[in-house]
Amino acid sequence: MNLIEVKNLKKYYGKIKAVDGISFCVEEGEIFGMVGPNGAGKTTTIECIEGLRNPDEGEIKVLELNPYKNRENLYQKISIQLQETSYQDKIKVNEICELFSSFYKNKLDYIELLKKFELIEHKNSFVMKLSGGQKQKLSIILALISNPKIIFLDEITTGLDPKARRDMWNMIKDLQKEGRTVFLTTHYMEEAEFLCNRVAIIDNGKIIALDTPDKLIEKSGIEEMISFETMNVDIEKIKKIKGVSNVFVKDNEVIIYGKSEDLLKNLVIYLYSEKVSFRNLKTKKPNLEDTFLKLTGRYYLEEKNGNVY
Amino acid sequence: MEMFTKLIKVDFKLLLREFLVVFFSLFFPAFMILMFGGIYGNKPTEFFGGFGSVDVMAPSYLGVIFAVNGLMSLPLTLVEYRDKKILKRLMATPLKPSYIILSQLIVNFVLTVIGLLILLIFGKLIFNLHFYGNIFLFIFAFILSTLSIFSIGFLIASLISDVRVASTVAYIIYFPMLFLSGATMPLESMPKFMLNISKALPLTYIVDLLKRVWLNSDVSWIKSNLTFEKDIIVLVIILIVCFGLSIYKFKWYYD
Repeated sequence: MNLIEVKNLKKYYGKIKAVDGISFCVEEGEIFGMVGPNGAGKTTTIECIEGLRNPDEGEIKVLELNPYKNRENLYQKISIQLQETSYQDKIKVNEICELFSSFYKNKLDYIELLKKFELIEHKNSFVMKLSGGQKQKLSIILALISNPKIIFLDEITTGLDPKARRDMWNMIKDLQKEGRTVFLTTHYMEEAEFLCNRVAIIDNGKIIALDTPDKLIEKSGIEEMISFETMNVDIEKIKKIKGVSNVFVKDNEVIIYGKSEDLLKNLVIYLYSEKVSFRNLKTKKPNLEDTFLKLTGRYYLEEKNGNVY
Repeated sequence: MEMFTKLIKVDFKLLLREFLVVFFSLFFPAFMILMFGGIYGNKPTEFFGGFGSVDVMAPSYLGVIFAVNGLMSLPLTLVEYRDKKILKRLMATPLKPSYIILSQLIVNFVLTVIGLLILLIFGKLIFNLHFYGNIFLFIFAFILSTLSIFSIGFLIASLISDVRVASTVAYIIYFPMLFLSGATMPLESMPKFMLNISKALPLTYIVDLLKRVWLNSDVSWIKSNLTFEKDIIVLVIILIVCFGLSIYKFKWYYD
């Protein structure tokens, strides 16, 4: 069942086409991700779906409702975490939780949520004293108090250290296990690859690809790379192994490109049967970043202004 | 309704954690009256047209409380809420957006009333403060003053998006008003041209109105040419213009 349906969504700011004709659906129970560089239109799209912005054109349905026109009703059933919200300087964790609890009919006990997210010992702390990771956990808790069917997370891991990011990933997987539908945006490709059932790659306000991460990579046709070091090998024989499409030799290093599922297995069997000694075997599977490069002709990690993030 | 009362409670708690607001609303006026009364007492004096010094200055000090709540606390809180996207976050809940503004108006009003009560209690207990006016007229003047000064604060919150700019503007408006409106320094001791400057400040009309109503007098010893009617008209105009512009200009969040 589709919980979210977006048809031909457009949102312009003056001449800038922030979102330029986007259509997709989000199914019940999935983690749906939207990835793309900064300024691609992710936040505008998610905020139109959340009912915080009125689209210029197109149709959005969230749980069968028009989100912009049915906000009050909808906000009992969906929850959001905004990119870059902070809270009042002098509010305490339990106070903001209590405030949010008063908003909802079908609410979860925030004490239980604080325990689950390991914030219970910070119950009486000022929100501004929390670390970045703890603040993001609080944002999730505040979003979960309403016991939502759909939860929207806008770049929830931006600015977190690797450990906090990993923790956050596990929490998001848990949300899915609880039966919630998760809609997230991120500019980390590996995050989308790890978390999402389906990913929409968005660039310049348009969806340029939408599928499961595996299928996106497969469809892009990018080959797997295997490399190893050896002193004695017959290149011509390696070229004949099933799945190998190209072989390069650089000093002692052999680099192989290919596309078969059994490529690595076939290669290793060959190396053993011919008693070729080798070391430092490495494989690199294509990932979503490579897919993005293939689709747009641009390196994902390079931003327009030259910053690498 | 539960969410509205909860919001008011939280907003009030947060307000009480703002040192500047608490100081100028609750302590400063009481401190001023103790100091002023300690120096001049509350015996009738020619300088104040035959009224006691404390009886005349007590309603003036109310101006300090109005100004800090209306010009500092209210706009700075709203600008901070918007700047930090707290307003936007609250928009994405079942809470009615208008409740957020109403709650701010209510908590600042309540703090103003508490400041008034503290001032009255100190004045009465220590200097036998007198009230000569009509209580209903005073309540009317008090509410009109609150609304008009809050409308100026609301306008500041509507026109300025940056917290630091807003606080600079609030300070620039607040401190001259504090000293030149008669709220702390008696206008009675000011020369003509300073009186003219004071007429450009909205707080002057509040202080003048409250004095007239409190003393039930035409305060003819102050040479400012204001009248009860003028005060009311100016405050009503401020109220209409500022609230009108605010409603037109106010944004919950920026794109």
